[in-house]
Amino acid sequence: MLTSLLTVFTEPLVCILAALTHNTDPLHLISRRTGKAKSSEDPLSGRASPESNQSPERLQRERSIRTNRRHRFINCLLQEDIDIAALRKLAWQGVPNDLRPIVWPLLLGYMPLPCPLRSSTLKRKREEYASLVEVTFARDRRGLDQQIWHQIEIDVPRTRPGVRLWMHACTQRSLERILYVWAIRHPASGYVQGINDLATPFFQVFLSAYIDSEVEDFDPTLLPSNVLSAIEADSFWCLSRLLDGIQDNYIAGQPGIHRSVKRMAELVARIDPPLAAHLASQNVEFMQFAFRWMNCLLMREISVRNTIRMWDTYLAEGADAFSQFHLYVCSAFLVKWSEKLRQMDFQGIIMFLQSLPTQGWTDHDIEMLLSEAFVLSSTWHNAQSHFNGK
Amino acid sequence: MTEGSNYDYLFKVVLIGDSGVGKSNLLSRFTRNEFNLETKSTIGVEFATRSINVDGKVVKAQIWDTAGQERYRAITAAYYRGAVGALLVYDISKHATYVDVTRWLKELRDHADNNIVIMLVGNKSDLKHLRAVPTEEAKTFAAENGLSFIETSALDASNVEAAFQTILTDIYRIVSSKSLEQSADAIQAPKGDTITVTPSVDTTQQQGSKCC
Repeated sequence: MLTSLLTVFTEPLVCILAALTHNTDPLHLISRRTGKAKSSEDPLSGRASPESNQSPERLQRERSIRTNRRHRFINCLLQEDIDIAALRKLAWQGVPNDLRPIVWPLLLGYMPLPCPLRSSTLKRKREEYASLVEVTFARDRRGLDQQIWHQIEIDVPRTRPGVRLWMHACTQRSLERILYVWAIRHPASGYVQGINDLATPFFQVFLSAYIDSEVEDFDPTLLPSNVLSAIEADSFWCLSRLLDGIQDNYIAGQPGIHRSVKRMAELVARIDPPLAAHLASQNVEFMQFAFRWMNCLLMREISVRNTIRMWDTYLAEGADAFSQFHLYVCSAFLVKWSEKLRQMDFQGIIMFLQSLPTQGWTDHDIEMLLSEAFVLSSTWHNAQSHFNGK
Repeated sequence: MTEGSNYDYLFKVVLIGDSGVGKSNLLSRFTRNEFNLETKSTIGVEFATRSINVDGKVVKAQIWDTAGQERYRAITAAYYRGAVGALLVYDISKHATYVDVTRWLKELRDHADNNIVIMLVGNKSDLKHLRAVPTEEAKTFAAENGLSFIETSALDASNVEAAFQTILTDIYRIVSSKSLEQSADAIQAPKGDTITVTPSVDTTQQQGSKCC
């Protein structure tokens, strides 16, 4: 919650926050949060977690770790000119929920690091997006690229199906605009199925800055229209930055995905020869399952909540993490199921990999995976000659 | 994980057609008797199997559901390898998806085995009030192009069973008659013509090269 932050560090942080919210909104949102925070017992502890069945000592320790981390984040964010290296280092370990709407735009370079520029930059980018939308949709639907629009129209209603936020017409119209404007500005790829999934974490994270309730159950029509426009614009620009790093995945022939899948297969052959041999003996091709892992950045394999935690680290890693580091994450992800997979035949393997038992995964599982990927990338990333044929 | 190995024949069948025509729901209706109005788009390919009886033989269908978007064609082409059947699906309420059938046929000619058995499937037959493709027109088109034809509704389940049953039976007839031609003693090598993607004792035979 932004609440706690505001209570303790009112002045300078408001600068950051205001950059996100002020132009659109509505101080009333901020003051509402501040008001609420004052009644909170421990404004620094952040969102409460289920703590009932843990020992008091452990709770105490975890609490103090969290509090400590928050302190360090806040100190970092309060700098007049934020030290991006320090912020990356912190964010690698995960960003507190309430600070994420500030941290992500900074890591992506969407929001400038020097405080005085933030507010004006956001204002300008939001206006720019608004005018892009206006120009793009100035004529009626016949003025749109029919092929692109048609595909987006099919995919938007089946984006996060069953989740209330995404079933609202209002959210769906926002997503349509984001995807269509991006697609026509990137004619080499246009809209490719799966990009819709990638827009959702941004939208949810930015929405969370303005509301106190559960994001996925939220009715976006309750927001003032300028707030919704700001969320949409911020999502658009941040999605654009993410996609800039993986455009190869979506252009004709999808060479980025081919390359990544090939490298992943080579890496798995190195780090888990028995698994690689078993997959080969069963005629399982990496492309049969890993294509989706690359195309949707594992969003079909893990929850959005897990994805958001994963992206903290990806964004901290830097621009090419979504193509490079992701490859190591996918490899670690596959190897995680090695023992099970090695007992299965072709059909069993393919069926298992298309509905992996990750439903119960928490931040902790994601952090384990990221650590394993980090070890792999440290070992192998600059060892290209170890890859077959390279 | 070998519970699926009790079969006489294993046929690989692909589901193709434009985005949003209901390929994934046809698959889930046939293999799990499920229909979901809220299905995510298919990315890459997805896979399911079901065994049925044909002439007292167990025929196992291994069905690959593909993504419909044009961009994915380069990748999905690889999935035609070893396919002995294709369900080419359009949406009876969206004329453009029927127009594209010609393009899909060309794609099959370019990438699939020449002898692949193709069935044209007009899905969403429950949307009677929105029908944009007359049954007779599609039936004629199918006949002219040597395809079998059926209209289905994955939503109300009508004809889904029949569609798969028909194509699998057609494939079975072709394959079993071929094996009779090839070998006088079909019983001795009952799986000689099994097109399989999983290695089994018999795949060392000539058909093994068709492995996926």
